Amino acid sequence: MTGFPKSVTRLLHAVLVLALVIFGGFPIYWMATTALSLNSELYNTGQVPWPQLGNLPAMLADLVQLPLMRWLVNTGIIAVGTTLLSLVLGALAGYALSRFRFHGKGPLGFLMFMTQVVPEALILVPLYAMFITLGLLNSLLGLVIANVGFSLPVAAFIIKGAIDAVPYEIEESAAVDGCPRISVLTMIVLPIIAPSLAAAAVISFFAGWNEYLFAATFLRDRELWPASVGLASFIGQYETPLSAVMGAALIFSLPAVVFFLLIQRKIVAGITAGAVKG
Amino acid sequence: MPDIQLNGVTKRFGNSTVIPRFDASIADGEFLVLLGPSGCGKSTLLRMIAGLTEITSGTLAFDGQEVNDWSPSRRGVAFVFQSYALYPHMTVRENIAFPLLMDAFRKWHHIPLVSSIARWNLMRRPDIAERTNQIAEQLELTPLMDRRPASLSGGQRQRVALARSLVRDPSLYLLDEPLSNLDAKLRTQMRSEISALHQRVRKTFIYVTHDQVEAMTMATNIIVMNHGEIQQVGTPDEIYARPANTFVARFVGAPPMNLLDVRRDGARLSLEAGTSWSHPGAFPAGGRLILGLRPERLKLLPEGQPGIPAQVALVERLGAEVILGCRPVSADGTSSGDLLRQDLIFVRVAGNPRVAPGAKVSLGYDADAAIWYSAETGQALPDPRPVSAMVEA
Repeated sequence: MTGFPKSVTRLLHAVLVLALVIFGGFPIYWMATTALSLNSELYNTGQVPWPQLGNLPAMLADLVQLPLMRWLVNTGIIAVGTTLLSLVLGALAGYALSRFRFHGKGPLGFLMFMTQVVPEALILVPLYAMFITLGLLNSLLGLVIANVGFSLPVAAFIIKGAIDAVPYEIEESAAVDGCPRISVLTMIVLPIIAPSLAAAAVISFFAGWNEYLFAATFLRDRELWPASVGLASFIGQYETPLSAVMGAALIFSLPAVVFFLLIQRKIVAGITAGAVKG
Repeated sequence: MPDIQLNGVTKRFGNSTVIPRFDASIADGEFLVLLGPSGCGKSTLLRMIAGLTEITSGTLAFDGQEVNDWSPSRRGVAFVFQSYALYPHMTVRENIAFPLLMDAFRKWHHIPLVSSIARWNLMRRPDIAERTNQIAEQLELTPLMDRRPASLSGGQRQRVALARSLVRDPSLYLLDEPLSNLDAKLRTQMRSEISALHQRVRKTFIYVTHDQVEAMTMATNIIVMNHGEIQQVGTPDEIYARPANTFVARFVGAPPMNLLDVRRDGARLSLEAGTSWSHPGAFPAGGRLILGLRPERLKLLPEGQPGIPAQVALVERLGAEVILGCRPVSADGTSSGDLLRQDLIFVRVAGNPRVAPGAKVSLGYDADAAIWYSAETGQALPDPRPVSAMVEA
């Protein structure tokens, strides 16, 4: 079979990749461009389509007045807390679902799946009432717990799927070598399924990082707000300082992008793990 | 080193009985092979001895002490899996040292994160490092110590699995078809290495296989199993020379023993298809019998000589010997049936005789080559020869 010459194929490939990069990168570019525009331009004459670096000092001066670092730290606490708790509980739940036979295993799996079907807004009011009773209102811990409720089932199922693919003989071999069950999990199974743990970590991290609805409802103190709620608070009745919002959003996105870049190789391995017989 | 006794051991999975009842005694230092076809319960039995599968009823005892409820690690056994079961995230060194680390671990070392630090520390302990290196050297793994299992060949992985089982100096080695994933050449090499290992360590080995060549070449004793039941216990020579029943006769030996369903007619034997010949020795009692003849005990004679009249249907030249598949010829001189039907009589002839398919021959044998089985039960019948003849043989 004869196809296109190799050079043409490579050119087409390069054009396609470039188009995807532009498509994916344009929102970030536009965010940066908007951040470096003056509000007067945005609301009156229209936005200049390239970044005006001359406006950088003005933007930074605007941002310095905001408790941006505090909000970012809060977001970080929620995201990292959600990730850690989801991974620890997800690993235990995933292992139990994969390796143990117990009554109600099927219905339990179904109930965990159902948590993904229920919209957050639907359980907002009952959760609010529950948090008042438990004293978790207006606390970051409460927010972490609420988020874990949604990210844990996903993490548990990803981990269960990965453990299913680990040959049981490896665990039996460890048992013969004198390794107790908890160490079989922590020293043998979890390192083997590290790519899937990374995938579960990314999903949990972004669930916490992008948290808005629960935070806006449960957190009253401005000091406890995550960045998402802080950014939304800029939206005023008469005016929204779009350039400052975009500047803050840009800073808000950077840690998440860095986290994703660090872990992306592992995620790809995790998503494709078990797809091909090794 | 323990003597192992299995008394009335059974295993059931729900309603399905895998091992109805198993009684055996395994002596210290023995190389016992559990031989049988797939699904006969031999691996289940091995796993019960290791403590990886629960015993439904009966007792398993090491040196007279019941160990049914002991954990696998408490039994002090080493288990080599068919799939090797190496830890893929650890290097060869870490794989080999793992049992030693677990022995050295205190309870609190198993706390997550603490375990990583403890492992890192213990890997540097001189006695553990020395023992690991010593075992690696024995199995020629020293150049591979920092590699991961994924980058090793099948034979190298097998050696790592053996090294890991050796490192703790266990009293009992359990091997579950450890060579079945290797190619034929490597299998032969590893067979000798495992035999040499047994000679060197002088511990009890229990080895599960469905490959009768492995069983015959390595075992000091063989238990042949079928449907969870013992068919025969004996040395490789005993099992080959005098199979206890037609199952063992068919299972051990390649080509297997020829089993001819014969009728006695005076001093002659005849097959259902009409073939008839004069048997050179005594007969056991009974009109209908099964005559067992090993392929190498049959002699290829010219047509008309005393023996089973037959026609060569298949010739397999193996270099040093030839395997002939012969079809019995009836009294009217015709051979019946398809070429590939199972009623071929196999003959093993040394050298490279000039025989072509279609040649008419006579298959001679001596009286002591015949092993008789009951046509009803399939069990071996007592040797009908006078005791004096048996002593001479």
